Amino acid sequence: MAYSSILDWIDFFKDPMDSPYYPFDTYNLAYDIGFKLHEIIGGTIAWLINLLFPGNGVSEWLMCDYVSAIMALLIFMILIFLVAFVSVLIVLWLERKLLGRMMDRRGTMIGMKGFLQCVADGLKTFMKENTIPKKVDKMTYIWCVSLIVGLSVLVACMVPLSSRWYVVDYQTGLLIIMAFFALAPFLILVSGWAQNNKYSLIGGMRAAELMISYEVPMLILICTAALAAGSFNIGDIVYYQNDHLWFFIPQILGFIVFFFCATAEAERVPFDIAEAEAELVEGWQTEYAGMKWGLIMLADYLRGTVSCGMVVILYLGGWTLPFIGDGPIPEIVFLLKAYFVFFLMVLLRAAMARVRTDQILNIGWKVFMPLSVINLAIVIVLKVGGLI
Amino acid sequence: MTIKYLDKYPKNLAKSLWVMKPVWTVFKLFGKTVTHRSMTILYPYEKEWIPENYRGRPGLRFDKCVGCGMCVRMCPTACIKLIEVDDDAGNKVMRPQVNVGRCAMCGYCAEYCPVDAMTVTPEYELAEYTRYDLLYGPRRLNYEGTTEGMEVHLELTLPSDIQNGNPERRVRLADLDKPELTDSKCIGCKKCAKVCPVGAVKMVEKGVNDKGKPIVRPEFDNAKCIGCSNCIIDCPKNALELKEVL
Repeated sequence: MAYSSILDWIDFFKDPMDSPYYPFDTYNLAYDIGFKLHEIIGGTIAWLINLLFPGNGVSEWLMCDYVSAIMALLIFMILIFLVAFVSVLIVLWLERKLLGRMMDRRGTMIGMKGFLQCVADGLKTFMKENTIPKKVDKMTYIWCVSLIVGLSVLVACMVPLSSRWYVVDYQTGLLIIMAFFALAPFLILVSGWAQNNKYSLIGGMRAAELMISYEVPMLILICTAALAAGSFNIGDIVYYQNDHLWFFIPQILGFIVFFFCATAEAERVPFDIAEAEAELVEGWQTEYAGMKWGLIMLADYLRGTVSCGMVVILYLGGWTLPFIGDGPIPEIVFLLKAYFVFFLMVLLRAAMARVRTDQILNIGWKVFMPLSVINLAIVIVLKVGGLI
Repeated sequence: MTIKYLDKYPKNLAKSLWVMKPVWTVFKLFGKTVTHRSMTILYPYEKEWIPENYRGRPGLRFDKCVGCGMCVRMCPTACIKLIEVDDDAGNKVMRPQVNVGRCAMCGYCAEYCPVDAMTVTPEYELAEYTRYDLLYGPRRLNYEGTTEGMEVHLELTLPSDIQNGNPERRVRLADLDKPELTDSKCIGCKKCAKVCPVGAVKMVEKGVNDKGKPIVRPEFDNAKCIGCSNCIIDCPKNALELKEVL
């Protein structure tokens, strides 16, 4: 068989949506990048194999539609995770740097304006010994932390960055994300029980207490936003805001309450009563050492990012900009908005003390709950009047 | 029952907006630190501005020093010691040596030095590898670039000057306090003349005593005297005392 050019194997301009195995309904940028990467890497490998053994079946198999789709999906998953991970690292850096500035100090200073400090911290936690206390319930102890970390990563990957950067495009996407998001306090309670330590147990109880106080107003607010947009689909909610008005203008009450609820959901100061460092040693994470603790920390910040993302999706118009719409880079717009919301959270953290455990239920049920119901009433009136 | 719960409800919801006050304060601080810079100083690379009379380790101007030992007497931590060294001409002289490891950087030595030979210096990075290295000899105490501000003066205004309508005048007590002789106690041993570092004491013959031997009494040259009180301390019969102005 004659020599075949590498260009015979790589078709860079092949449209992934033409493939019969394309897994989405609409155009997906991450999948497209994965598809093209497979086109380049797999095509080169196929071409090399074909040079060595002309006319074999492996090269053909490597470039067929089915294998392309599977490899593209793999690269797609890695890409989605990497973007979520890097945005979390940026959030970590932002927190340290902004908090430092708010406390009149400099924050982290190591490499790239302090960005590499989180790499150093990650390496440090890797180096530490993986100790497990003798009297813990081992299975629950390990499974709980794995599930918390896994759920957080899952939720962080599921938040769509734009109409072309998503994992799933369900009609009930918002509900699914919030359901996964709300599972963690339950696991915190179980893990606090499993650790056989009074601090962990109190931390777990407090996580449950926190959850019953903020979860109801939060769900009412989510329903309000869905009611105003007429859909539980995240894309629909965002484009409804883009077509009419960002929800934080008619629902300013809802925006404020949801912002506080999202802070509580991410268990950040002033609602970090589950791991109150000054009262309980490290709260429910007391017995977790080394890399387990590092992963829990990462999960915390993942949840913080997702909280900011939810605020942006529900109230700040998602990835759209007024008068521009999607624009060329909606993903960056979305992340910038999320970082702005995170800035507000850091401001809150720098300014406020921790809420007392007996106050949190009062705040949740006597302040947030009536405000969210009032917000719902306003939205219903506006919706019936046809104003939004 | 409902009323009971409503009683616990915050009466004025707007009052709970006080929580915005610390947020606003922090935001203002954030704006300040972003536009200017934070308080933190990156120490090994940046250093704080230091005033001229910053009390770092003591410094010594070898040629000005007269070796009176005032600093040794005034040092609260007793870290100064007079040792014998060669001066530039090769003569043996007494000069202070400072154990910086014990020094409290109080600057009293510079304050009380009657000839302004002892100064404060802005040097504060004094870490060494051994304790022996912390002993600063008279030559090592020298500090290049000693300015006038580093001579710390212990000055005050006299009440009499204020009464006379001259409150701006500052005097140093060491210039005013001079030794005075109680003639009946003196035995004429000439010790005061020997210990005086500036040679302000001159022994003068004042007649003869009953046995026909000359009576020798010290006479003080107040222009030369620096008020170091060495003569007073070394007088074997306590015949001398410092006549204090205040």
